[in-house]
Amino acid sequence: MSRRVIVATFEGEQDILGVTGAVRERNLSILDIYAPYAVHGLDKKMGLLPSRLPWVCFLLGLLGASAKVGFEYWASWLDWPVNVGGKPWDSLPAFVPLTFEIMVLFAGVSTVIALFMVSGLVPGRKPQLISPRVTNDQFALVFEHTGGNIDIDELHALLQRYHAVQIEERVE
Amino acid sequence: MATDKQYWKSLQERDGDEVFLREMQQEFPEPSQEGTGGWSRRGFLRAAGFTLAGAALTGCNRAPIEKAIPLLVQPEFLTPGRAVYYASTCAGCAAGCGILVKNRDGRPIKLEGNPQHPLSHGGLCAVGQASVLGLYDSLRLRQPLIDGKKATWADVDTALIAQWKELQKSDRSVCILSSTVTSPTRRSVIDRFLRRFQNARQVIYDPLSSSAILDAHERTHGVRALPRYRFEQAEVIVALDADFLGTWISPVEFSTGYAAHRNLETEAPHLSYHVQVESRLSVTGSKADQRYTLPPSQMGPVLTQLAVRIAKAAGTVTSWQAAAESPIASRELDEIANRLWESRGRSLVICGEQDVTAQVLCNYINHLLGNYANTLDLANPSLQRQGSDQALQVLLQDLRDGKVGALLIDGVDPVSELPEGEQLAGWLQRVPVKVSFQDHLDETARLAQYVCPTPHYLESWSDSEPASGIVSITQPAIAPLGDRRPMMESLASWSGEAASAYDLIRENWRSNFFPRQKAPSSFDIFWDQSVHDGYAVIEPQSPQPKEFDLAAVHPAEGPAAGNSGSLELVLYPKVGMLAGAHAGNPWLQELPDPISKVTWDNYACLSPATAARLGVADGDVVLLKATSGAGSAQEMELPAFVQPGQHDQVVAVALGYGRSETERFANIGPRWMEGQPTLGENGRVGKNAAPFLELRDGALRYAGRSITATKTGRQHALASTQSYNSLSVPTQGAFPGWEPRPIVQETTWAALQQNPKAGSDGVSPAREDLWPQDHPSPVHHWAMVIDLGACTGCSACVIGCQAENNIPVVGKDEVRRKRAMHWMRIDRYYSEKASAVEVAHQPMLCQQCQHAPCETVCPVLATVHSEEGLNQQIYNRCIGTRYCANNCPYKVRRFNWFDYPRQDPFANLVLNPDVTVRSRGIMEKCTFCVQRIQDGKAEALRRGESVNDGDVQTACQQSCPTQAIVFGDRNDPNSRVSQLANSGRYYRVLEEINVRPSVGYLRLVRNRPAGTEENNRG
Amino acid sequence: MASTEIGWQTPLIQGSKRLSQVTQDVCEPLERKASAWWWIGFLISLSVLMVGLAAIGYQILTGIGTWGLNTTVGWAFDITNFVFWIGIGHAGTLISAILFLLRQRWRTSVNRSAEAMTLIAVMCAGLFPLIHMGRPWLAYWVFPYPNFRGPLWINFRSPLAWDAFAISTYFIISLLFWYLGLVPDLATLRDRSEPGLRRSLFSFFSLGWNGSYRTWQRYETVYILLAGLATPLVVSVHTIVSMDFATSVVPGWHSTIFPPYFVAGAIFSGMAMVLLLMIVVRKTMHLEDYITHRHVDVMARIILATSGMVGLAYLTELFSALYSGNPYEQFAFLNRALGPFAWGYWIMVSCNVVIPQLFWFRGVRSHLGVVSLICVLVNVGMWFERFVIIVTSLHRDYLPSSWASYSPTSIELATLAGSFGLFFTLFFVFCRFLPVIAMGEVKGVLSYGTNQEESHHES
Repeated sequence: MSRRVIVATFEGEQDILGVTGAVRERNLSILDIYAPYAVHGLDKKMGLLPSRLPWVCFLLGLLGASAKVGFEYWASWLDWPVNVGGKPWDSLPAFVPLTFEIMVLFAGVSTVIALFMVSGLVPGRKPQLISPRVTNDQFALVFEHTGGNIDIDELHALLQRYHAVQIEERVE
Repeated sequence: MATDKQYWKSLQERDGDEVFLREMQQEFPEPSQEGTGGWSRRGFLRAAGFTLAGAALTGCNRAPIEKAIPLLVQPEFLTPGRAVYYASTCAGCAAGCGILVKNRDGRPIKLEGNPQHPLSHGGLCAVGQASVLGLYDSLRLRQPLIDGKKATWADVDTALIAQWKELQKSDRSVCILSSTVTSPTRRSVIDRFLRRFQNARQVIYDPLSSSAILDAHERTHGVRALPRYRFEQAEVIVALDADFLGTWISPVEFSTGYAAHRNLETEAPHLSYHVQVESRLSVTGSKADQRYTLPPSQMGPVLTQLAVRIAKAAGTVTSWQAAAESPIASRELDEIANRLWESRGRSLVICGEQDVTAQVLCNYINHLLGNYANTLDLANPSLQRQGSDQALQVLLQDLRDGKVGALLIDGVDPVSELPEGEQLAGWLQRVPVKVSFQDHLDETARLAQYVCPTPHYLESWSDSEPASGIVSITQPAIAPLGDRRPMMESLASWSGEAASAYDLIRENWRSNFFPRQKAPSSFDIFWDQSVHDGYAVIEPQSPQPKEFDLAAVHPAEGPAAGNSGSLELVLYPKVGMLAGAHAGNPWLQELPDPISKVTWDNYACLSPATAARLGVADGDVVLLKATSGAGSAQEMELPAFVQPGQHDQVVAVALGYGRSETERFANIGPRWMEGQPTLGENGRVGKNAAPFLELRDGALRYAGRSITATKTGRQHALASTQSYNSLSVPTQGAFPGWEPRPIVQETTWAALQQNPKAGSDGVSPAREDLWPQDHPSPVHHWAMVIDLGACTGCSACVIGCQAENNIPVVGKDEVRRKRAMHWMRIDRYYSEKASAVEVAHQPMLCQQCQHAPCETVCPVLATVHSEEGLNQQIYNRCIGTRYCANNCPYKVRRFNWFDYPRQDPFANLVLNPDVTVRSRGIMEKCTFCVQRIQDGKAEALRRGESVNDGDVQTACQQSCPTQAIVFGDRNDPNSRVSQLANSGRYYRVLEEINVRPSVGYLRLVRNRPAGTEENNRG
Repeated sequence: MASTEIGWQTPLIQGSKRLSQVTQDVCEPLERKASAWWWIGFLISLSVLMVGLAAIGYQILTGIGTWGLNTTVGWAFDITNFVFWIGIGHAGTLISAILFLLRQRWRTSVNRSAEAMTLIAVMCAGLFPLIHMGRPWLAYWVFPYPNFRGPLWINFRSPLAWDAFAISTYFIISLLFWYLGLVPDLATLRDRSEPGLRRSLFSFFSLGWNGSYRTWQRYETVYILLAGLATPLVVSVHTIVSMDFATSVVPGWHSTIFPPYFVAGAIFSGMAMVLLLMIVVRKTMHLEDYITHRHVDVMARIILATSGMVGLAYLTELFSALYSGNPYEQFAFLNRALGPFAWGYWIMVSCNVVIPQLFWFRGVRSHLGVVSLICVLVNVGMWFERFVIIVTSLHRDYLPSSWASYSPTSIELATLAGSFGLFFTLFFVFCRFLPVIAMGEVKGVLSYGTNQEESHHES
């Protein structure tokens, strides 16, 4: 079924913050907002849940660390036990630095990869720009009109109140 | 049997097939090409139809010496890959030490001392060990020369025999000029040759002459002989300018005896008292309990004073009480005299002065002390020095007058060894027939029409009688590497009685020695026994000395008027270089001098005070001008070297340098942008100081010429391996209450008797560990103990290690950059005590730490620990971070900064196949000769028993003349090394950092009264 | 921190910009033709780099012997340069990560180039452990890769192995951090430039970024996570570097205060280097409005603070050595201050401790010429610090018999110069083709200081 989508573009940070709140009060469902930079506090206004990426970071870091320390013990005690300067088989203190480095490596790399995956960021991918200037100096608010308790003129007035630069309706 | 002389390589050769022999002659001169071109292998296969085994062996690209191995019937004593040892006699110098030639796959690769030998008792000096390299010297002449052109022996013989016929008619003299001939057979052949002429004689001179001693004994005892010195019986030793532990006559023999009487690790420890009076700091002086420095001109007066005192004690009245006043405080002289007198018969006074009067006095003192027949054996004299400088002087006169018809020169290079070398070269032109037996073209051989090269002693038969009654065999350990002929063969064939050296020697032994021995009944048994042992002891046969002739004794005069005050020149031999006969040997050139630690040069040693007066430091070139003595005032420019412990009036210069043989070193060492050449401006290593020698009243004089030294302002960098010489840090780094570092610990005999741990720095060994000991050494734990008291610093171990472990020669520039590669180095520390300089030698090698700091830091596990306590270095795993070397507290690791060139493939035949030749960019170090350990274990396995103490000997230990180095298994409580580790003198260097070294040291002990033990090395 | 108070009063970016203005200012230099100055600077650095490469090539072909090292002094210029460059690198991470966590919003104008500097410096640093090996072609042996040589692993107890991992981890994480920050700006550039190679390149690397706020939110999260990881990482890296020395037995190396001491020194020198570059960039690329005097002022204060820490470290190690009662330790330090290399020691002290004290004066801090001069001196001083630690400790250690001296060869000097050549060449390239200022972040702080409520949005 087709649905009507409204794309409104703004130029001020305060405007986009304001209009987002206003639009949500009218419980129109906001599809997304396109912005040239991360406007602080906008996620709250949009009511986005906090990202779950920290979990990826934590778990992969844990995995890296334990894998590494295990490998160090296995390699230098079980698989190939050699006497190095009379040091004991259990040289945990000497194993710590590498364990830490590997933990950071795993955590960092995996988190970034996860980000790219969930956000569909792929090298060479054609970008779909909602409006040509969203990577420069404009903010675009995209929301569904259907199901709202507000008619089109009110909506225009509301958007104008926040100095909308341009308002268009699209049918998907 | 190992000594079957038939080293034939095929039936054709044995049957003397002409074609074959000719081909062999083309074959041998270029063994180096065996590795490279394919043609030589094919050619060789054509030449000698070998067994499959033979062909297979040559396939592995070894030099053709392997051709000597594959006989049609493989002899049972020759297993490829297993070393065979032949007993033989060293010909590095005239001392004639017994050696074992380690023969591997048909080629000698290392010389070791023969423990059974009655003179050397298993010791072998640096020169002896290095002489194996001479065998593979590619510049040795491979066939005779006539007027500088290659010839065959047939040509030489025909030409010369004609000449001899001429001379037999004429009365012009025929003269053989040679160094000391210890070979009895050669002596008899020479006699037989000379007998055929009306006017012929042999003149013997030693470049390092002791003829004054022989002359003195002719005066006092009526026999011109050199007594055999028995240091093992001497309780009190007084030596004047005699470096008997380093270079004097027979250093190994003397060191062995000396150490035998200074052994503190027996049930009845005893320590001889050794007083050294010398003008420069010698190896011997560095070991003395009491040391005085005097200019050479003062030695005579001291001897006189000593003689007076001894005579008084002996109750004889000497008419010449009022001799020149002594330069040594008379109280101290009295002390020395008393000590000598108290232990008469067990004391020894020796003098290195080339001055007959002084030597007579020396004999007189020994006579009064009743040392003859005890510590000096004149009845069975030594034959290690036979030169007569008087005869030499006469010969030179004859040469000057052109009276000599023929001159045969063997084993000496008079043009570069004698004072008037230049002129001599001119006089030689007047000699119609000049024959040289040198195997290389030295300055003299270049002037000879006939050069008849003699083989290296490792590839020919010879014999030797270093001391009357002790005869030893020199047997070939390899098929001859060229078409050379032993001197005795040449002479024999010229005398018309051609015979092989082997037959000549056998014959001589049969007729002369066999009758004089007891044990075996048949000659063959005697011969085989002797060849097997390398020596035989027979009934000595020498003129008996007469009663001591007092009339000969006169007081030695004091310094000549002009001398006093001015500088006096002392020409001395270096331990490695001696008179320069081995100047072409790179190992010896790179061997650090035991005292100065300088390599690749000779230099003018000046005392610190004199250097300050002249305003020179190390490397400043000074001009030396002789102001007295024979000949024109020679002058020479030499780099200065500041030498503590030398008398202020003395300038000491080493002989044996600036030889033509050293021109070969032009390209030694790595070539790169900032690399400096090894040779000096003169295109040679060092400068020849021989022109400063004096041949005056029948003695070749090394000391006493008064000279002047002036600064030139030029520089000549000296390559030294040690730049800081004290155990105390520089004053600006010294913290209040500073102690010298307890790295060398020493004490006195007196203190040691009170407290066996005297001299300890109080660091308690092995403290608690933070971690569990996960690494036991269940079977063996190899360890080493080095007795600093016994070590003389002679550096035999350094060369032994170099030969055993394929250590490269890096050249002067690399040494100057502190990149010498020796795995075993000998640290030498000076200490000042009341202006008297004391010296401590400390052999320093990988300490094989149980908590090795080097192992922990290697990122790739290229150095790890073995189950037997060895600190292993895995060359092919090393990536060369040098972290291990930085973290080594002993700085014993060596890095391959370049691919050190081994251009001469022929010289590479000396390489030990058991040891990897290290490539560029990797770390290397002492491994406790792990290949010898493995070999010892394999032998034990073969015998089916466990490794006994002494089965495994490291290369450094094997040849140590004083047995200062003991190696063994710490897990065996009865091993020598375990016993020594329990000695009170035992300590480990840097115990406090708890790296647990497996190498320990025994404290240096000096024979001193109590209270003088504090070791203030400053 | 002091800079925060300033932050309340004055805006971070001057000349009240509009968003499009920012885009214009930052992107415009990249779209212009390169200036003559750029070419001069670039070509000079490039030629110096070539000299360095020639020297390295010669050394690898001939052998480490072409350096002035010897049996006693096994490390000198090589490891000195390594530690020096790693130290430089650390300031970048400090600015991008630590200051980010500390909410130092002024960092936004400088963090991009600071991170670029980090990457480049780590490349320069990584070069030296590689070429200092006797057999560099086997360098990969320091990593435990599966192999068929029977069990064959590396020594996990060796600080050098730790180094290898630390450096590579550090490089990878810094690269991600830098690239992540770059993605939105690349998108901006993409959308500005007309079709062509540049555009397709930007398009490729901007990963189809379209400014969706959902992405922005996750992006911010990951950015914080990376910052949180990079902060301990930068500390660990220099700690490990310092352990090359601290875990050894060499007197003068074997010291427990090395880790904090090295980290402080690293930030000290790195900050000086960043400041120097910023002052140059600001002038040559006309970014005075973005890199303002207050940036210079703040960084000068950090330099002053870290200089104090370094000075304290010098005193501490000197004291603990003299107080230790260990004669070898005592000598090592007296020898540093009074021995043959005393000149190096005193250069280090004057450049690192004495001269930075000038930053107490506001007048000095505000005079760009003087500031840059001091920054240069600080880096000279910090280079000598490493040289002094390495060489003076090695050249006279336990056994006096093996004491030796050290002097560099032409090859080593050329190699050092070459590393600077590499550094500046890459930095010039960066300035030419990538936005030196993080637009995405600067835009976020445009209004900063103009209206207060901004800062309440900090979560």
